Amino acid sequence: MLKLHNLSKVYRTDEVETAALDSVNIEIAAGEFVAIMGPSGCGKSTLLNIIGMLDSPTSGQYLFADEDISNYSESRLSGIRKMNIGFIFQSFNLIDELTVAENIELALLYHKIPNRERKERVAAVMDKTGIAHRARHMPGQLSGGQQQRVAVARAVVGNQKLILADEPTGNLDSTHGQEVMHMLQGLNEEGTTIIMVTHSPSHADYARRTINLFDGHVVTEDIRAVG
Amino acid sequence: MLKNYLVIAFRHILKNRVYASINVLGLVVGLVVFLFGSLLVAYEESHDTMYEKYQRTFIVTSIFSNNASMSIKENDGIYTAAAPFIISDVPELDAVARIVGWEFLLSVEDNDYYQSIRFVDPSFMTIFDFEYIEGDSSALDDPTGLLMTQSSARKFFGNSPALGRLVTLDHKTSMHVAAVVKDLPPNTHFNSSIISSNEFQVVAPLAGLTRANGYDIAGNWNNLSSGDYTYVLIPEGKDRSWLQSKIDGVYESHVPERVKEFVAAFNTRALPEVNTLLWDSVGMPVMASIQILALMVLIVAIVNYTNLATAQSLGRAKEVGLRKTMGAGRQQLLVQFLIESVCIVLASMLIAFVMLEVIIPLFNMATGKGLKIEYLTVIPWLLVTTLLVGLVAGAYPAYLITKTTPIEALHESRNKGGGSLFRSIMLGVQFSISIFMLAIVLIVYLQNKKVFDASDIYPRSEIVTLKRLQIETIQQTLDTLRNELMAVPGIENVSYSSHVPFDGSNSGRHVTPELGNENKKFIIRQVQVDENFLTTYNTPLLAGRDLTSKNSSDYFVEGKTANVMLNELAISKLGLPSGEAAINQVFYDFASSREPSIFTVVGVFPDQNFEGFHNSVKPTIYMMPHLNATQRRGSAIQYASIRVKGVAMNDVLPQIEMHWKKLIPEYPIQVEFLDETFGNTAEVYDIFSQVLGGFAFIAFTLSMIGLFGLAAFIAESKTKEIGIRKVMGASVYQLVRLMIWQFSQPVVWALLVSLPLAYFASGMYTNFFVDRISMSWAIVIFAGVLAVALSWCVVAIHAIKIANTNPIGSLRYE
Repeated sequence: MLKLHNLSKVYRTDEVETAALDSVNIEIAAGEFVAIMGPSGCGKSTLLNIIGMLDSPTSGQYLFADEDISNYSESRLSGIRKMNIGFIFQSFNLIDELTVAENIELALLYHKIPNRERKERVAAVMDKTGIAHRARHMPGQLSGGQQQRVAVARAVVGNQKLILADEPTGNLDSTHGQEVMHMLQGLNEEGTTIIMVTHSPSHADYARRTINLFDGHVVTEDIRAVG
Repeated sequence: MLKNYLVIAFRHILKNRVYASINVLGLVVGLVVFLFGSLLVAYEESHDTMYEKYQRTFIVTSIFSNNASMSIKENDGIYTAAAPFIISDVPELDAVARIVGWEFLLSVEDNDYYQSIRFVDPSFMTIFDFEYIEGDSSALDDPTGLLMTQSSARKFFGNSPALGRLVTLDHKTSMHVAAVVKDLPPNTHFNSSIISSNEFQVVAPLAGLTRANGYDIAGNWNNLSSGDYTYVLIPEGKDRSWLQSKIDGVYESHVPERVKEFVAAFNTRALPEVNTLLWDSVGMPVMASIQILALMVLIVAIVNYTNLATAQSLGRAKEVGLRKTMGAGRQQLLVQFLIESVCIVLASMLIAFVMLEVIIPLFNMATGKGLKIEYLTVIPWLLVTTLLVGLVAGAYPAYLITKTTPIEALHESRNKGGGSLFRSIMLGVQFSISIFMLAIVLIVYLQNKKVFDASDIYPRSEIVTLKRLQIETIQQTLDTLRNELMAVPGIENVSYSSHVPFDGSNSGRHVTPELGNENKKFIIRQVQVDENFLTTYNTPLLAGRDLTSKNSSDYFVEGKTANVMLNELAISKLGLPSGEAAINQVFYDFASSREPSIFTVVGVFPDQNFEGFHNSVKPTIYMMPHLNATQRRGSAIQYASIRVKGVAMNDVLPQIEMHWKKLIPEYPIQVEFLDETFGNTAEVYDIFSQVLGGFAFIAFTLSMIGLFGLAAFIAESKTKEIGIRKVMGASVYQLVRLMIWQFSQPVVWALLVSLPLAYFASGMYTNFFVDRISMSWAIVIFAGVLAVALSWCVVAIHAIKIANTNPIGSLRYE
């Protein structure tokens, strides 16, 4: 699915040069569930942003579906992104002024999908994630777990093959956290590739592979047997 | 505590230098315009308060009847014959005095000056008190006495004492200087107003006018001249309504019936009103307009301030949250923010006053007015304004920023774009005002342009006029003068006439198609011309022939039969079907003391707006008097119009002057380009449109600056939403479109409010003109479209900037 080769990201300010990622080599195949772990500041979020094409590497190669996209323009990246990648954030990032249904629909709004089909798909994904009864509510009226479910629904409504989740359970209590993890697991079983940044070892256990980052380097990779 | 507030406020301003300076600048401009407008109006409306008895002094004016078909509603004077009746019918009055303005050639030894002199009744001196340098208030008791201002005395006599010096009027009537007074300040009705040529310089007793030209001191019911005031001084304890009822009585019992047809009533005006009477009489609400526009500019500035301050205050949510956590109450925070805003307004006010101190002297220099800031009287009013503006402008941001709970405030991502209804209202107000302003500017500009273009029917730039030819000595040389001028290369034609276009005077007579039939009579504007007038002024003949000196029956003599030319309007007023059919038709005038004149139509010319500007085209008659004075009554020819072609005006002028000096050495030449004549009258419209345009431009610019700030604010509060949409794959174009659309809803409301208002207000202006621009609604809509388009550009600039930023910045996780 994607391959990072010698990928580096350097942040420069006037005085300091910080290497957030240093020659990272990662390959992720379609259908994998990968957890990225590591202490604060190790480069997890930077890595996820680069994979999600929200940020570009300073050097190195990024092959997405065998295409080297490291030098693509923003609008081309945006095109690839909207067809392939769904995002789930720690702070949910729902638009406060839109209803649950409208927030989910947002992900389809920028695809060329007729209105009726859009509505059908939104209804279907709401059923699947168990938030159909909240369709007309505003994000502010939902609990954190419900909001994250809306975010998950939004991430998958466009049939994205890859979901990037940045600490999806970070703002949730353990019960709700479990719920969301189950949901992600279910998606993975249906074939969606998931890359998740997390601090919680128990949640990382849902993944089949864990990548540990430290100071911008990949230090270990653990692969677990399924089940 | 207060120090802490101020320190934070000051640092915050420093940190947001650009916003803060836009903010202060906008407020300064708003305040300057508002204060200046208020000062100007106060100044214009408080003239003549330096005279001791100003509160008891009134003038009597004439209200024109509708069928007088005058372009103004009210004349500032009454017939001179009315004053003696006021004196006899209202004995309670302390004084009644007339002014009759007359221009004479005033000679001091060998120097000649054209000087307009105010001839007055003796009681003029009891109504107005002057500061005497030489002589005293008895100066005008002697019919040969003159009162003049210090600067006039200096002009005539240099630095030597003027008292007792002799002068002659028109080389025959001798007068002596009986008093010299200090120059009058600019804020008196004698000096101000738009007619700058009428400055207060020389005053003489009416009896002197009788000596000079046989003027009948009893006055007459024939001439109604602007500027010839009749003053009355009412006794202590009486008021205007008392005076008005007495004057109404005089009107009823003494004004002749034929005059009543023309003048419907007498009105009374307090002395301080005289200065702005001109605007009232033409129906232009100038003073009210200035006040409303100035206030609008201030409102725009306040809205701006509020918008920008609100935008800025969001950056201080954390500070507020911390203060609340530390135990600050909501009231304390409100006070803090309000103090801050009052401080900024105070600072702006100080800057505004510095600017006013610079602007006012420049303005006074350019306009000859005497505006000044009376700090003692202005300060309490000023403090109130500062406080009010500060509180009004600061209230909303203070409310918004302090209403959040500390948790919300510390959690910046929450509740960022609150109060969207309020924001929409602010946006709507700002837009309404700017669209309104833009529409008004466009309408005024186009209407003025139309009026000015309409004057191009006459070859304005090719004509130079010689004025004041009515003097007997000059009249005798007219034929010779013309012959000599015609020989000058570049002079194409020379024509003599009683009026020239745009000269602002008006002369008419009653005519009727049937002899003695009063029911069919109407007023016709008469212009005495010669056989060269039509060709000099590029006026085509529609039917018949031009007048010619070869045909003796083309000459007009009062009470006899004469051939004349009419315009089309006069033809139709006479009930004739066409120009062709009118040729050789006969009509008559009315005269009480002689046989009626009989007119035969020989030529027809098109309807042209002789008076120009807002005046309607009137039925007009061109008649040809004898140039030779012995063959006609009275002096008809006042102007020579010289048409110059192919050479520069300035090259011909010395030649014209040379011939004049040779023929008429005893009278100085009075040259005026027709363009100048036009310009003098056009000044009123120019001033009005410049003032209006200036205010509107400032208000519009301020609105746009405010919009810029507001757009930044909205864009900022939408950053998260834009980030999310971008992650979802929205393109820059889609995002910009979205933001513009969200922004457009209040704009639509503003359009609904401002367009009808602008249409209504522009109607008030254009109604003043007879020749109106068509499709003013289209212009108003165009202004709306233009304002919306401009604002879209402003919003788009921000939207593009925000839409291009990397979304991860706005979707920060922790």
